[in-house]
Amino acid sequence: MSLIDLIMDIITFFCIYAIITLSLNFQQGYTGIFNLGLYFPIIVGAIITAYLPGRLAMIVYGIDSKLDFSANNAVVVSILRSKLSSDPLMSVLLLAITLAVVALTCYVLGFLSAYPALKLPADYLALFMLCASESLRVIGMQTDWLAGGVMGITIINPFWWLGGFSYYGMSVFTILATVCIILLYQRMCDSPLGRLLKSIRENELTAESVGKNVNGIKRTTLAFSFMILGLAGVLHAFMMGAVVVGGYTRVDFSFWPWLMMIIGGTGNNIGVFLGTFGLVIMRRIMIVGKHYFWFLPFNVVWFEPILLAIMLMITLVFRPEGILPEKSPSIKDYVRRVLKLES
Amino acid sequence: MVSQTLSVGQNLSSKESRPLLIIDNVSKRFGSFYALQNISLTVPEKSIVLLIGPNGSGKTTLINCISGVYKPDDGKIFFNGKDITGMPVHDVVKTGLVRSFQVPAPFKRLNVAENLLVCGQNNPGEGFLGSLNRQRWRFFEKGQVERMFKVLKTIGLEDKVDTLAGELSGGQLKLLELGRLLMMNPRMMLLDEPIGGVNPVLANKILSHIIDIRNEFGTSFMIVEHRLDIVMKYVDYVYVLSKGNLIASGTPTDIVERKELYDVYLA
Amino acid sequence: MIPLPILLTALVYSFILSLLAMGFTLQYITLSVPNLAYATIAFASTYLTLTFSLMGLTPYITMPFAFILGGAISFMLYKFVSFLRDRGTSIVGLMMATIVFDLIIYAGMNIYADYLATVFKIYAGSFSLSEFDFKIFSLPAVLFVSGITSISLVAFFTLMLVKTKFGVAMRAVMENYSLASVHGINTEQILSIAWFFVGGLAGLSGSLYPIWFAMDPWVGARMFISIFAACVVGGLRSIYGSLLGGFIIAFSEVVVTYLISIYFPWVWAYRSVTSMVIAAVALIEMPSGIAGLIQKFRGGR
Repeated sequence: MSLIDLIMDIITFFCIYAIITLSLNFQQGYTGIFNLGLYFPIIVGAIITAYLPGRLAMIVYGIDSKLDFSANNAVVVSILRSKLSSDPLMSVLLLAITLAVVALTCYVLGFLSAYPALKLPADYLALFMLCASESLRVIGMQTDWLAGGVMGITIINPFWWLGGFSYYGMSVFTILATVCIILLYQRMCDSPLGRLLKSIRENELTAESVGKNVNGIKRTTLAFSFMILGLAGVLHAFMMGAVVVGGYTRVDFSFWPWLMMIIGGTGNNIGVFLGTFGLVIMRRIMIVGKHYFWFLPFNVVWFEPILLAIMLMITLVFRPEGILPEKSPSIKDYVRRVLKLES
Repeated sequence: MVSQTLSVGQNLSSKESRPLLIIDNVSKRFGSFYALQNISLTVPEKSIVLLIGPNGSGKTTLINCISGVYKPDDGKIFFNGKDITGMPVHDVVKTGLVRSFQVPAPFKRLNVAENLLVCGQNNPGEGFLGSLNRQRWRFFEKGQVERMFKVLKTIGLEDKVDTLAGELSGGQLKLLELGRLLMMNPRMMLLDEPIGGVNPVLANKILSHIIDIRNEFGTSFMIVEHRLDIVMKYVDYVYVLSKGNLIASGTPTDIVERKELYDVYLA
Repeated sequence: MIPLPILLTALVYSFILSLLAMGFTLQYITLSVPNLAYATIAFASTYLTLTFSLMGLTPYITMPFAFILGGAISFMLYKFVSFLRDRGTSIVGLMMATIVFDLIIYAGMNIYADYLATVFKIYAGSFSLSEFDFKIFSLPAVLFVSGITSISLVAFFTLMLVKTKFGVAMRAVMENYSLASVHGINTEQILSIAWFFVGGLAGLSGSLYPIWFAMDPWVGARMFISIFAACVVGGLRSIYGSLLGGFIIAFSEVVVTYLISIYFPWVWAYRSVTSMVIAAVALIEMPSGIAGLIQKFRGGR
């Protein structure tokens, strides 16, 4: 692996995890929705990415209807590759359609999941979400026609038309999308909305008594962060070039983001951002540099969860508020920085 | 002794003003226990009404029924001519009727400024889409900040503006509670023990703030309070609850003279 | 007609699942922290079972060791969680603490599987030990062992709660933690013992699992869904409700899914999702579960 590839790899992984942890922070750090099932919308995004664009492309190019995208995956993907390589417009259109469909689906799913979720006390909400996500993972693994089942499925790359740079094309797109999403979250959290969400986290009854529709806002929060997480799922799937639903585990797509958030500083977007950055670099270097760990008598991937556990433990004991704890802006600062007025 | 000081709050009760809050035959049970039984009372506009009664007589239950925390089992509640029976809490607030809590319930990890600013109504920056359009909410927010400083001045917490609410003292929390309600610019406030656990000097200050607010903005008040020695001289009218029933009502002078009510209270 | 293997599977499964559900509920009631590591603790002992079987011993010899292993891990987890709780850590932090244990055990299991793979030259990532089982009346022994274990443990537990001094103290702690400690009950000691016992119980039932079912390191994560569903159906905070919930979930996962799969064969693959569907419906339609229903029925009379 060349240095540029390693850097690109780290940056894109960081982007995807940044989207996930910021969405988590939006739910837990801001609104106080205790959600351990972050990977539910991510799996939904990945499954739709596995199912939809390939089949759409088959219809558009009129590929032999005896071939099935899932059953004859390798054949179909190579045909699509030759077609899409010379059709940038269709490629980008497929990407856009996938993103739109996933965003809408996940928004609706988040909205619907709020109905059982908001009835539950925090701890059972977390369990419910975790179990629902795990169930979806089982469904994805058992259903071959959906996303290739246990073996997984190869998918199209919307940047094949860039030839040898198609991988970089997807990376750059991911980076751009991430920047947009980070700006979106930052703007929301810096506005009166961020304050409102924090007030709900602090005391729901008081928030209700100052005229805020707490359940409505929590429902929208869930729906919105589901939507963004779904997009993270799409980006991740396109980045990998394949979807293996079994790979979307609770450790990788829920517990790691939780650790990144807690270490960084729950409720502080910048802290969460830094926490994500540090841990992603650490993890990628460990995975990429696997062969440097030859002295371990077991596969180094099992060392990862232990490391995660130890760091989580240390953080919980010594610095539960994280590296950069949440801070309320002083009123002078708020007037100057956010309202851009001189007081 | 008490009757001499009664004049402070009485100037308005003599005037004929239309009822703002009407509670009509409201009952609330928990299981087979009646917390409130056929309560009917009214609060006129621009008046300060006191609700008293021993512990467990149903005062807080009544506040909870009015503000929408509980849905009454029976009866109707009208505010400003509108039926608000069983409305969700946040919708009741929209009609201009707001409440405080017996145990102050601030947003602990937000500072005083944020605690007050979040109470603004119909802030365009609080919508998920609205928050993205900074130009749209900036000027609304500017107005809110100005209003907040006025409120801070009224409640006298100007120097605590950047303090986290979780770090305030008990009396300051009571003031913050009042400030939060003021930010909402309500027509009526339900105050559950606004001077509970507060020293007499601060208690008198809080109550005179209430008089000022009434005189300046025409806000009505329903106050639940135990410390009759302090509060009586500030109110226009008194209702007495006992075991979920309304057993007496009258001007403070009337109530003070009815010695048998003291027995109820002490019992 | 339901074929015998299906029925047997359902029975063995329900004995194991109801014990696990009971343990989970008990831990939840005592500390008000759902133990996310619970299923993983239970299934850690399956690798002990595998080791003993590979060494040519009967898998049932694992049971006492599994009890001690599960109990010891659970005890350590209790110490860690209660240490954090005394420092005022929030419920989120406490649940994260249970995740810490979940991860360590999960990784430990995998490392051990790697080790077994190199020592015994087998693939330990996925295995079933049914071939090591023996027959009683031409039925697999694990049926009787799991049944007798489960029934006697529940009976023992009930007797202990009702008859012994420890049981009375424990009921007091479960009823009201702070009140019990005010009344001079050593809550710390009671809960330590309770968590050890419950962890041991989990390890014990987990050790029986691979004698009938196929086992892999992910079983904990999957079974957690079923345990959660059983507790929800049982009413979240009722010990005996969760026992019943375990039976209901086990039978719906195996028997009901089997019956449906006669007409829709593809349903069979989604057995473990059935329980999640039941849990979701139960949460929305009867949040107080079976315990709530029973109470309603009694109250109605």
